[in-house]
Amino acid sequence: MAAKPIASPISVALYPTLSVFTLAIGLVITAIFFIYETTSSRKNRSLGKELATSAVASVFLGFGSLFLLLASGVYV
Amino acid sequence: MAARIGIFAVVVAVFLSIPAFSSAQDLQIVNAERRIDLSSHIVKAFLTLKVENIGKSAAAEMLLAFSPTQIKNLAMVQALAITGKKKKKTYLPLDVKPTEQPDAPNDTGYYRVTFVSPLGPGETVSLEVLYILTHSLEPFPVEITQSESQLVYYHDSAVILSPYHVKQQTTFVKTPSTRVESFTSIEPANRAGKEIKYGPYENRASYSYAPVIIHFENNSPFAVVEELVREIEISHWGSLQITENYRLTHGGARHKGVFSRVDYQSKRSVSGASSFNALLAVLPPRVNSVYYRDDIGNISTSHLRTGFRKSELEFEPRYPLFGGWRATFIIGYRVPLEDYLFEASDGRRYLNFTFGCPLVETIVNKLTIKVVLPEGSKDPSAILPFTVNQDLQVKYSYLDIVGRTVVVLQKDNVVPTHNVPFQVYYTFKPIYMLAEPFMLVSAFFFVFVASLAYVHIDLNIARK
Repeated sequence: MAAKPIASPISVALYPTLSVFTLAIGLVITAIFFIYETTSSRKNRSLGKELATSAVASVFLGFGSLFLLLASGVYV
Repeated sequence: MAARIGIFAVVVAVFLSIPAFSSAQDLQIVNAERRIDLSSHIVKAFLTLKVENIGKSAAAEMLLAFSPTQIKNLAMVQALAITGKKKKKTYLPLDVKPTEQPDAPNDTGYYRVTFVSPLGPGETVSLEVLYILTHSLEPFPVEITQSESQLVYYHDSAVILSPYHVKQQTTFVKTPSTRVESFTSIEPANRAGKEIKYGPYENRASYSYAPVIIHFENNSPFAVVEELVREIEISHWGSLQITENYRLTHGGARHKGVFSRVDYQSKRSVSGASSFNALLAVLPPRVNSVYYRDDIGNISTSHLRTGFRKSELEFEPRYPLFGGWRATFIIGYRVPLEDYLFEASDGRRYLNFTFGCPLVETIVNKLTIKVVLPEGSKDPSAILPFTVNQDLQVKYSYLDIVGRTVVVLQKDNVVPTHNVPFQVYYTFKPIYMLAEPFMLVSAFFFVFVASLAYVHIDLNIARK
């Protein structure tokens, strides 16, 4: 019959490790974003840099929270 | 005129060319042996029939007749055709379907068995029929105290009810213990230990019926699940979560009088002989995160043994169940996705799971299986070897926008023989899996944009 079993695209055993690393990176980039916000003055601020940093941070944080949910047993 | 004769000739030719099916009187049962097993509350009957075609035309099918009370309680009918002799016997499953006949005497119910190949005139075929009856053991006395044993009635016919003439037949009835209060004697009938033999009876006409009542002791656990709702949630991120809601009762003689815990624990073999407190559930092999709880909370009286081919959960309700008592609980567990979800050759995905109830030797009065498909699944369809009621619902769960499609399968009168695999097919584009992380990413991005807006917007009234 050779039915092909379907598994998750990412191995289930990797979920806890992946969640820790992606969340850590996401939080570091969030820190970079907020440091930039507080240390720059109104004239020096560049909207492009802000948006880019927030986009990258939100991607890492989003995936990190997804893997955190999966690792803790809430299979969404 | 000639045209009309021509049309008439064509019509007659068409009618003559349709193969004529044998009527009920063209078949004859040469030998019938019936073995009825009354050891548990699920009555199993094995019929070995040798059918001969005494008509002139081929017979493609035959009818099995059941009395009106039996038809209501019939959970399953299976038929096998036996070919070959002695050691080289092969069994071929046959198609069995319930059917109605217009001239049924006394509301007899019928099942139609289709042969592998039509039976020619003068040929014989050997069949083995298994049918399972539920709720057929009637407790008598209806109410018993804690120290009494449970006695039940079994109503049946000593002569096999059949629309055909039966040349020779014998019925063997097996009881769980040697205590048989009484049994109707239709000559020749005798009892030896745990077996009652009715027969052999010669040359009985079609539809002959000789009602018998057997009154015997049956202390096997009468575990009846009144309602079972099984929810199977598929998550493409790697697991299948199964939640089962049970409403269990003891379906035997009702308990009357007081329940003495002292008597129950000290004289366990005498006290509460028909009660049960332990149940066994057979779960899939690689199961994890098993929980057993009810409305009050977790129930700790359970033991889980995982294995390579199956896992066994032995659990006990909070109190032993006596006749008429109920217990409601929830059992949940998780299994890995790759054991059950497969890709078909046409690109569709399908779930291959076992139908029925995981508890051993229990009858389920009403079984509902809900297969929750992930968000973004389309065209669900279910394939089962027997008829069920199918329905579609929508369920809203974690990170859902449009909701998840739920395929609801509902069946009444389910016995452990219904634990066969079934498939639910659906189409799913893998790109839809990104919808969930995308939702989380956009939520975080919204927070960042809000903080950006706060920092950039100047709310000062005074001019700089």
